[in-house]
Amino acid sequence: MGSTAESLPDETLLAGLGAGDADLAIAFVRRFQRVVFGVALAVTRDPITAEDVAQQAFEQAWRHAQVYDSRRGTVRAWLTTIAHNLAIDVLRARTSAPVDPAELPALLTAITDTPERLAVARDSAAGLRRALTQLPATQARAVAMAGIYGMTARQIAVTEGIPLGTAKTRIRDGMLKLRAAFLPEDVGDD
Amino acid sequence: MTDLNGMNCAQFADVAAELALGVLTGRERAEALAHLDHCDACREHVRQLTATGEGLVGLLPAKEPPPGFESRVMERLGLETPALRVAHHHRRTARRSGGTTRPFGKMSSGTRRILAAAAVVTALAGGVAGGWGLNAATSTSTSAQPALSTATLLSAGRENVGEVFIYNGDPRWMYMTVDMDSGNGTVTCQLISTDGRVTTVGSFRLANGYGSWGSPSWVGDGTPVGARLVSANGTVLASASFPAAAAS
Repeated sequence: MGSTAESLPDETLLAGLGAGDADLAIAFVRRFQRVVFGVALAVTRDPITAEDVAQQAFEQAWRHAQVYDSRRGTVRAWLTTIAHNLAIDVLRARTSAPVDPAELPALLTAITDTPERLAVARDSAAGLRRALTQLPATQARAVAMAGIYGMTARQIAVTEGIPLGTAKTRIRDGMLKLRAAFLPEDVGDD
Repeated sequence: MTDLNGMNCAQFADVAAELALGVLTGRERAEALAHLDHCDACREHVRQLTATGEGLVGLLPAKEPPPGFESRVMERLGLETPALRVAHHHRRTARRSGGTTRPFGKMSSGTRRILAAAAVVTALAGGVAGGWGLNAATSTSTSAQPALSTATLLSAGRENVGEVFIYNGDPRWMYMTVDMDSGNGTVTCQLISTDGRVTTVGSFRLANGYGSWGSPSWVGDGTPVGARLVSANGTVLASASFPAAAAS
């Protein structure tokens, strides 16, 4: 199908992947490989591991294409979550710390100031990015450690040298502010 | 609301973000999940935080994978296009362990033909995001494929509001597109067999009247002779009849 496949909706390519159609499958991989590899690399910080994670993500998408539910989110978000979960599993299997605290500023800069992504950002994503830049640095770090690297509050407390309760509060307060920016129409009275 | 184990909504709110991000562990996690079992408000709270967490991950910058990535993925899946097969014929050696991949085999041209028809519809839609414009011309693209059937979804007022693609080969496949004037919410796709039996095969969400949904393995007894789109309250919004020869 060549260029025709590339113009198909994400859901169609995913269904084609699940059905084992090679042309649709490769169109799917081409469409999402940069996103998937980007997530895997950001979390694992190792290109070889990231490629393996990314490959696993596409394999999982292939195996579970039938359970994708468009009501729960976009194909991109679904696939990104798969890749992220796989990358977190890799981090948790390591004996070393999930992330070097010194690397956090670079990560936060990357996700809040990426021209390419800013150019294509949906309003909600742009709002989320702005909100992240406006968080107190300690909350932004806690949210990144938990949300990107899958670190528990206890791990964050140890890494940051703060009480456990403080780490939990930073995660909670930071996420509530991000939610208000990302889903402003859903935010109630809390 | 207070759970049997003592976690109330306020206490839950303290750990909701950790739960949503998948970093809550041990007893706290168990108690939080128990609380969610019977608290709709907190469930919605977590849903929003989960979506926010996914949005956060979605901000991570895309990166170009190493050269050859896509072909290695395809090889892992046991799927290769002719172009990839030629390009990598000389590289496929003992590196590939026979028992680890799951050869799927390429599908017949039927699936591709269905999606080609869908692509035609997409092209005719003029790039309407999230939906499909529909045109009777799509049915002509499938006339040479007996296992493939397309049918127009007609509303109660006999207006064209969508299209259904059915591939009754191996494996089975179906795809439904909807383009109505308006409407939001969940709709259900049902197939009707020759004996009149109605089988629900899946549901999807319409956004401003647009929506599409596909299933790579629809289930149903007998040969489908029709399909219909049903609203959440059971109202039949539209129906379609497949040409008898094509559906067999």
